[in-house]
Amino acid sequence: MSKNTRILTVDDSASMRALLNHALSTNGFEVSQADDGVSALEWLAVNEVDVVITDINMPRLDGFGLIEQVRGGTRHRDRPILVLTTESSDEKKARARAAGATGWIVKPFDTEKLVAAVRRVAH
Amino acid sequence: MSPEEIQQIFFVECEESLAAAEAGLAACREGTQDSDTVNGVFRAVHSIKGGAGAFGYGALQAYTHTFETLLSDVREGLVAIEPELIDLLLRALDTLADHVEAAREGGDAPDDAALIAEMEAAMAANLAAPASPSPVAEIPSDDPPQSSEAASEDPDFGLDLDALLDDLTADFAPPPAGEGATDPLDMAASQGTGTWPVHVRPKAGAMRNGSEPLLMLRDLAELGGRCVHCDVSQVPQLDGFDVAQGYLGWTFAMPGEVTEDSVREIFDFIGDDCAVALGADAQIPEVELASPAPQPSGQAANGQGADDRGAALEAGPSRTEAREPDEAGTAAPSPGGNDGAATRGPVAAAPAAAPPAAPVAGQSIRIDLHKLDRLIDLVGELVIAQAMLVQRLEGAGVNATEELSLLESLTRDIQESAMSIRAQPIASVFSRVPRILRDLASSTGKHVRLEVHGETTELDKTVIERLGEPLTHLIRNAVDHGIEKAEDRIAAGKSPEGTLTLSAEHRSGRIVISIADDGAGINREVVLAKAIEKGIVNPEAQLSAEEIDNLIFAPGFSTAKQISNISGRGVGMDVVRQNVKELGGRITIESTPGKGTAFILTMPLTLAISDGMIVNVGDQTMVVPLAHVVESLRPGEGDVKGLGSNRRMLNVRGQFIPVITLGEELSTACNATTPEEGVLIVVDTESAGQAALLVDDIHDQRQFVIKSLATNFRPVEGVAGATILGDGRVALIVDVDGLVACALPAHERQAA
Repeated sequence: MSKNTRILTVDDSASMRALLNHALSTNGFEVSQADDGVSALEWLAVNEVDVVITDINMPRLDGFGLIEQVRGGTRHRDRPILVLTTESSDEKKARARAAGATGWIVKPFDTEKLVAAVRRVAH
Repeated sequence: MSPEEIQQIFFVECEESLAAAEAGLAACREGTQDSDTVNGVFRAVHSIKGGAGAFGYGALQAYTHTFETLLSDVREGLVAIEPELIDLLLRALDTLADHVEAAREGGDAPDDAALIAEMEAAMAANLAAPASPSPVAEIPSDDPPQSSEAASEDPDFGLDLDALLDDLTADFAPPPAGEGATDPLDMAASQGTGTWPVHVRPKAGAMRNGSEPLLMLRDLAELGGRCVHCDVSQVPQLDGFDVAQGYLGWTFAMPGEVTEDSVREIFDFIGDDCAVALGADAQIPEVELASPAPQPSGQAANGQGADDRGAALEAGPSRTEAREPDEAGTAAPSPGGNDGAATRGPVAAAPAAAPPAAPVAGQSIRIDLHKLDRLIDLVGELVIAQAMLVQRLEGAGVNATEELSLLESLTRDIQESAMSIRAQPIASVFSRVPRILRDLASSTGKHVRLEVHGETTELDKTVIERLGEPLTHLIRNAVDHGIEKAEDRIAAGKSPEGTLTLSAEHRSGRIVISIADDGAGINREVVLAKAIEKGIVNPEAQLSAEEIDNLIFAPGFSTAKQISNISGRGVGMDVVRQNVKELGGRITIESTPGKGTAFILTMPLTLAISDGMIVNVGDQTMVVPLAHVVESLRPGEGDVKGLGSNRRMLNVRGQFIPVITLGEELSTACNATTPEEGVLIVVDTESAGQAALLVDDIHDQRQFVIKSLATNFRPVEGVAGATILGDGRVALIVDVDGLVACALPAHERQAA
């Protein structure tokens, strides 16, 4: 890929955003941040992105709601979206997938796992 | 940003989460038990858990897991919200705070075994109930249906797609793989014993959700797999071709050293939407066309959701409208989940349905404090520059009153909003109080009801941060010394439960914080006797009630008959007053025997800008901080009496206070050599009582921005700092406390 993969991270926790930002930007990704679903949608309305990584439980608009809106829109509906989940049960995965997520990252994650997950879905 | 800095952010976040959870639980106790409130508490604990895991705090993570699980049950209505439960949750929250503290300070994790057992018991109570969730947990996402009907074994390559496929597969396997119509298994076998086959057939849903099956084939190739066969038998004629369907199937020959797990991992995300069969005995799974597709039996509620979505995707333009019921449909059947789907209905559909307990998670951005301080500094400079401009223009006789007043009001607005950025609601300090009271209740047996007023009152962040300690001490003091034991209260005809009232309000540019108890009030006889015994006051001294009350601030004073472990921590009330004073505040006492005691703190709203009295001393202009000024007066004949050879005392309504000539103390020539020629400013000091400063004249009263002398020059005794005046000159700010203490011989100082 000639240009960097652009990633939007959505998490209401500043430390989690910082962790993601640190891990991803040191691996050559271009990282933008939003602190909940609503601000993510606002950002997406005017920006381009290759992969979205979102937390699930957030105020105002949660991760599933965000995915719903993105998939329901036109601009980014085919973007890969990874959800951050604390559990790796099949039920959780099935639900994430049913909600429209492309994949998931199980917290706590290490940098390799994170980068591998992003690479796996980045077009 | 370094990992340490990120950790710092995490701990700041923990504090916020703890405060949010505390507020939420308090709201629950008051009866606000709607889903937003409960979910707020859940989210707070959930967020701490997430960070704990990410930063490797095992004990914290393990504890929050139990806590979170219980909260999840509460949120889902599986555990009823009862007073005992809220009490348990509050205690769990206290221990959580201790856990966070231990993680931050690297100390030992608190003993949480009993609490965990209690929480588990609270959960177990509902486990027996029939409503137990998650029967749908087993969805075979990793096990695609092993369809072995020989549909794909009939190679039907009479198509022009051949060349196309060659191109496609050549991307994945270095040698051209589409060599012809060979049986795939033979083909795989012919690659040598070192390989094993992987059969892949993406289904209709494989392109949903931003998935791209091509990437999975790419990943297989990256593992060293070679595409040995592509099944195109199911590709229909063009008129029946639907781009959303999965018609193609592939067989890859994987090198022997590649494990099955690593291959399965590639298809982890796609789950049921791509059929995968591994091993020599397997075949390419059969095509599953979407439209009438019968669901595999294991797929229940969630699978239905997926299907709805697939349908919606085909529906085209009307999809957005179709979402709304879909949303409700997927949100409802999710009983066992912890991860928030259960609440998204209310959150997304009706964000303002129920008023949340407190505006905890407002919309906010985080700014580096240095940037903010820089802004405030600059605004301070702007204020000065504006004042300089006014002075210059007036001096030059330019009449631009309208423009200047506009500029002035704009400058003031900018200044106020810049300061308000640094301002935080005092709730962040008040929110810690319930915890303190709970701790005190268990150690003293005194149960205290808390009343809080004005917790949204805002003041400077630095003031807030440094207010915590004195406030904590005052609260401990109020419970320990102020509020009586339950039996004494009953005997005095009061309710056995004490009441502590915290309030904050803005009053004339300062914030007034009151900590009031309804206890016995200060026992002045005991206090006076103690002060005499300790040699703090002269036995013959005639002290007013107020003066006696203030004795408890004297260094070395402690009235507790025995030093308890609550207030008697070696930190006396003198330190409290010192802390408050350092923040530019003052503390006063209002006590009524039998009714209670109130400590009233008057704090500046900010530390960056203060009000001052601009005075002239000789050729110098100085600033006296207004916080210290009690009154200013021109003494009349006979108001000032000599004392000894060179000291003078001012008679203020019958009370004599020492006169200090400001010019002398600061070694500048003073025009007014006798008090009658100048102006006396009566100031209040913490350590030396009142004194009167003699200056030539009072010039103005205005706001000033403090510039530190210590950082720009060196510390100077009697000078608190410097500021720039409207005319561009530098004026020194008088350190009233230091100056007075220094100027007066010890025996002349009054007991404060």
